[in-house]
Amino acid sequence: MSHGTAPHLDEARPLAGSSVRRHDGDAYVTGRIGYTDDLSLPGTAHVVLVRSDVPHARITVDVRDALTRPGVLTVATGRSLAGEFGPIPNAMDPVPTGGQPLEIHVLPIDKVVYVGQPVAAVVAESLAQALSAAADVQVHYEPLPHVLDPEAALAADAPLLYESWGSNVMLSGTVGSGDAEAAAARSAGVIHGTLRTGRGAPVPMEPRAYCADWDARTRRLTWYGTTQAPHPLRHAIAEFLGLRERDVRVVAPPVGGSFGFKNFGHPEEYLVCVLALGLARPVQWIEDRASTLRYGARDSRIDYTASYDDDGRVTSVACDMVANHGAASATGAFGMAFAGSLAMPSGYQVPDFRCDYRVVVTNKGPWSPLRPFGKEAGVLLMETVMDAVARRTGLDPLEVRRRNWVKVDQFPYVTTTGLELDSGDYEGLLDKALTVMDYAAFREEQTRAREQGRYLGLGIGFEVLPEGADIPGALIGASDISTVRMSPSGDVTVLTGVTSPGNGNDTAIMQIVADRLGVAMDSVSIVQGDTDVCPFGFGNVSSRGILTGGGSAALAADDVAAKLRQVGASMLHVDDAERLVLRDGFVSVDGDPEQALPIAVVAHALYTVGYIVAPDVEPTLESTRTFRMRNIRHHADDEGKIMPFSTFSNGIYLSVVEVDIDTGVVDILRHVMVHDCGVMINPRFVTGQFTGGVVNGIGAALTEEVLHDREGRQLSAGFKTFLLPRASDVPAFEIQHQVTPSPFTPLGTKGAGEGGVACTMASLLNAVNDALSPLGASINELPAVPHRVLAAIGGGER
Amino acid sequence: MSTNEQVHSISTRLSLNLDGTDRTADVDPRSLLVEALRDDFGVTAPKIGCATGDCGACTSRVDGQITKTCLRLAVSAEGSQIVTTQGLAEDGQLDVVQQAFWDEQAFQCGFCLSGMIFAASELLAENPDPSDQDIRWAISGNLCRCTGYEAIVAAVRTAAVRQREIPQRG
Repeated sequence: MSHGTAPHLDEARPLAGSSVRRHDGDAYVTGRIGYTDDLSLPGTAHVVLVRSDVPHARITVDVRDALTRPGVLTVATGRSLAGEFGPIPNAMDPVPTGGQPLEIHVLPIDKVVYVGQPVAAVVAESLAQALSAAADVQVHYEPLPHVLDPEAALAADAPLLYESWGSNVMLSGTVGSGDAEAAAARSAGVIHGTLRTGRGAPVPMEPRAYCADWDARTRRLTWYGTTQAPHPLRHAIAEFLGLRERDVRVVAPPVGGSFGFKNFGHPEEYLVCVLALGLARPVQWIEDRASTLRYGARDSRIDYTASYDDDGRVTSVACDMVANHGAASATGAFGMAFAGSLAMPSGYQVPDFRCDYRVVVTNKGPWSPLRPFGKEAGVLLMETVMDAVARRTGLDPLEVRRRNWVKVDQFPYVTTTGLELDSGDYEGLLDKALTVMDYAAFREEQTRAREQGRYLGLGIGFEVLPEGADIPGALIGASDISTVRMSPSGDVTVLTGVTSPGNGNDTAIMQIVADRLGVAMDSVSIVQGDTDVCPFGFGNVSSRGILTGGGSAALAADDVAAKLRQVGASMLHVDDAERLVLRDGFVSVDGDPEQALPIAVVAHALYTVGYIVAPDVEPTLESTRTFRMRNIRHHADDEGKIMPFSTFSNGIYLSVVEVDIDTGVVDILRHVMVHDCGVMINPRFVTGQFTGGVVNGIGAALTEEVLHDREGRQLSAGFKTFLLPRASDVPAFEIQHQVTPSPFTPLGTKGAGEGGVACTMASLLNAVNDALSPLGASINELPAVPHRVLAAIGGGER
Repeated sequence: MSTNEQVHSISTRLSLNLDGTDRTADVDPRSLLVEALRDDFGVTAPKIGCATGDCGACTSRVDGQITKTCLRLAVSAEGSQIVTTQGLAEDGQLDVVQQAFWDEQAFQCGFCLSGMIFAASELLAENPDPSDQDIRWAISGNLCRCTGYEAIVAAVRTAAVRQREIPQRG
């Protein structure tokens, strides 16, 4: 093994692979888990944000009245902070990929660019006092023309959000290779189409919450809050404030869901720091629900041309994607358009592929990262193309997919966008799905139903998700550091740079470590989310908790295990430490359980009588490890392509829906899911990721859409107007797993945090269109809300 | 002093039986019950997910009735008996629903648990053998963004089976 690269650690283990329950579940179900808003530091001051009423205007803010209100400690504005503080750091910067420079300030200095944008921060002793005083902040607006529609924003005379850019395009680019137009000209048929996705939003149940505490005595800042990425955020806060990183501590208490929203780059993360520094006391800001809904995603249009041959093979795809980003943000959300484009060919062999993408700013709230980070675009595109090819050629849609897939013996397979798909068995996924779904029987049922005036449809969705991203130049990497240490009493502590958004990866990492040390789960504890004690990590982004945090913990645990075997061999008078095994809390000679010592005794001996029992062994039971992914490549190839992803989990879904053609309501009757994310450490946790992703996908496909009026005011400001699926809206899922281990990761695992969303969006879109096909109607826009379905039917041949 | 400033200084005394203990605190009369529970009584099990009665994260049992505590003013609960998920477990022993939620991995981030657990408890009190559809309807007043509801339904099913097999405490 070359040092630093991923070895294979694939022996059978008792705990890993079993659905152990959450190690701290009792604290959750009894309400004792403390989220950020549950903390109460003595002397905390409270922040209320004054927000813009208009979509685009020059502003002047008068805070004099507000400052006189009872309990008010300070009122900050963009202008009051501009002298001392520059723009906030970008989680990702569009400039290296040819985009525009982003300058996002904690509060805007002279101009607002969306309704709801914070313009002033009122800080008071109590929240009620801050709320009351906020009404007395006078904002004078000098309105500017605004633009909400990306096509209008691209017009030559469009109002500019950021004048220095000279246009409203934040970033544009092209991915792919070959000559799609020439390939289309040679092909048997060509399909043109458009796909639109409405504006979604991540909306975790817990809104964002930040609290900063400046200790004037030690001159250190402690930041508590909802973040997925404590170490990158510490770096950003230190850079922003001009502090050394060691003078900033970021603590991430358990979060109430993230889905990308709680990666770093939000202005309020820095606002509480600035205010805490100024007031030398803890300052807290808690977001309300309406604010969470101001951060969107998707809101894209793809115009595509695909070509195919008579045998159903897709010969080319060329597309133009325009993404409506809303206002600019520092969260790196624009990367969704780029990642989405790279992922577009999915798991299909598309010899000639091109995507031209443009990320356009408009006067809506900014994009937020949202799982599956833009990759749903390509899944929707390719699954739409596959169904269109099936209709044109008369082939069954399943057969069209079989003909176009990358085959088992072709891995690792390099797509036309330069991604190297690690492994997979896409045919196997479908075969498995068909053991659950009797396809022929459904088609008969569908025919009978149509005779009775009922419109059933079956839709297929297939996804390949690049995950475990490592972005050159950004603090988004595919390596996290883990430390494993054993105390004199045999207690094991894992410290890791990955965080847990509630998915159970903490428990799964404990499983991995317990196995490798031969101890019980309750001998192991884990510490995450504190930059003062945890080794560096990139947090939980890009589905890498187990991939990187688990992999590095396995390596570190193996080091400690080797040490225990060495000491144990010495104590048991065995020459070859390799003959010893760690199992059930004992170090024993393999095959001779009589020769055994409790692991705790061996640990204690190393700490206390090491000079007698193991004088040649370095007296530590601690290791800190990480590794590099062997398949990531940052040196650009001849076409300028890099390979920034670690794994490519995949899945196929078959959805059955019934469309009520009188109301336009879509009812999901069956949802068959087959997933492959390689080795599963805790299958139940993995299943939970997918079922959660599916319901995110159902929302995106059928009900969730952030709407604005013409004046840019958000009509979807809460859960009565942004409709998350409820338990009664979704069916029981029929779930199967397939395991195709990654050849490149230590434990054979692949990312599992983003699965199900894209697949579900595609399978439901295709199912609705299958149901509507006898009416000659179809939709090309999600969510398929009733008015859209009815409009499609009205435009058909009913 | 303007009227506004006088309002700021007003607080009112609120007495509750909270998770089995008689408690008294000074609360702002404008406070929602969930705000008073969290900020003035320091019981943080009920969460604020929307403050509009849509998500259910603030649910507690008030005088025997499960209640979205963001939809009531704190002062309206004077003298009430309130149970939160913090008080459901007796003598460190998890309630049958809590236990099933843990065993069945019926939560991820856990923010929705107050609503889900109380809705499930209420269902099982009325219907010891609910169908999956009964369960889905019973919990549909609560939002969960993580689990896809599947595991929650399984947990309520498990709790129902266990409740039928083992007589309830007390």
